[in-house]
Amino acid sequence: MIEFREVSKFYDTVTALRSINLTIEKGEMVFLTGPSGAGKTTFLKLIYAAEFPDNGKVMVSQWESDKLNGSSIPKLRRNIGVVFQDFRLLSNRNVFDNVALALRVRKVSEKEIKPIVLDALKMVNLRHKTDGYPSELSGGEQQRVVIARAIVGDPAILLADEPTGNLDPDTAAGIIRIFKDINARGVTMLIATHNPLLFRDTGKRVLRLDNAALIREEQG
Amino acid sequence: MSYSVRVAFQSLWHEKWINFLSMVTIAMGLLMIALVSSSIYNVELFARKLPEKFFVVAYLNDQVSEQDAREMIASLKEQKIIEKITYISKDDALKELRASLKDADYILEGLNENPLPASIEIRFKKEAVGPNTIKQFVDSLRKMRGIDDVQYGEKFLLSIHSIKAGIETVGLVLTGVMVSGIIFICYSTVKLLFYRRREEVETLKLLGATRGFIRAPFVIEGGIIGAVGGLLSAVIVFGFYYGLFLKLSAAIPLIRSVIFPTQFFLLLPVVGLGLGITGSVIAMGRIRFS
Repeated sequence: MIEFREVSKFYDTVTALRSINLTIEKGEMVFLTGPSGAGKTTFLKLIYAAEFPDNGKVMVSQWESDKLNGSSIPKLRRNIGVVFQDFRLLSNRNVFDNVALALRVRKVSEKEIKPIVLDALKMVNLRHKTDGYPSELSGGEQQRVVIARAIVGDPAILLADEPTGNLDPDTAAGIIRIFKDINARGVTMLIATHNPLLFRDTGKRVLRLDNAALIREEQG
Repeated sequence: MSYSVRVAFQSLWHEKWINFLSMVTIAMGLLMIALVSSSIYNVELFARKLPEKFFVVAYLNDQVSEQDAREMIASLKEQKIIEKITYISKDDALKELRASLKDADYILEGLNENPLPASIEIRFKKEAVGPNTIKQFVDSLRKMRGIDDVQYGEKFLLSIHSIKAGIETVGLVLTGVMVSGIIFICYSTVKLLFYRRREEVETLKLLGATRGFIRAPFVIEGGIIGAVGGLLSAVIVFGFYYGLFLKLSAAIPLIRSVIFPTQFFLLLPVVGLGLGITGSVIAMGRIRFS
């Protein structure tokens, strides 16, 4: 489903990622960990084509990073749900519209959108906040809106960048439960986190990044 | 209502002051275009009627018999630019003069013989009436045997043609400047809106929106701004027409001859729409995904 072949990424003189080789199978749930600045966010960005490798190649489903262009990038991104570290919620739209945006870019008709969005909000326990605006929500609630937006389009892959950062342990545990439910539906998942509590005792693969390189692979 | 249209209307309302100002400015620009183009239209109409009224008179000397004159006419008619040639004999000329003098024709009584020359009146095909063609024709006519003098409104023809060319040039330049100005207004309005919503645009890109999906609300918004500007200018133009022009033309005959191109003015909102869309498309340029 996701394959990195000798992938390197540089920002000016800084090496963000060095010679990464990796395969993530369809339906797998994988954690990506490491200290801040280890290259976790860049790793995820390479998957949803917000960044491109300077060396090597990233393959996601049928797409290859060196063959992507203006018309194939949106298609690739519509197959991936992303839980952004900075949320990227639109402050002037309510919860419903923020989540619905992921369906509107997929050209889902307005008639079909309502039940699908309400289902996604129910899954993250935010059905009662449909009309609220992001500024009226707590950090944990905003995080769950982002998750709802990431899964509402039924993507084959879900990427989450520090999905529990700044959240209290109970809220974090709730979010992990949601992720497990999503994974149980067959969605391939890659979760970047520096919080070991998230993957401990999960039995899932944990990839450890340090100093721009994939240094170890372990079992959570 | 489609999502793009809804977003466009929300943004129009949200940024109502900047959008309203753009609409008014566009209306003023289109008003100028309307004014300039109706001037060109009227000059064009006037100049188009001119060939029908224009003619050249060649006076024949007395040695030329009517038979010779008929032959001369036949040979002149072979030229492609000629529409019609009328022969006016010495007697006809005198009759005409007598008729035009009406009651004052007693002044002709002392004449022993007819002093008026015979003449031919030459009219041209519409497309041939231009200062150069006519001058060339008149020059060759003057060289012909039996022709004493040739008269035509040379200066009039020249000045009308230079006025027409001048108004057309100034009009085209002004229209060009105004069209560019309107496109620029739409361009900068949409650029500003695009800049204010850049975070939204970035998020849309990351969610997998296509270029068309991202552009649509901005193009719709730009189009509406242009169209409303056009509508506003049309309202002003028609307000002027019904409120002032009709009353003035009833009182002043000169104004009555001015033609008001109503159909063109009805197109102003469409022109505004087109310019608005053009400005918006240019403002967004190429949307990059990485």
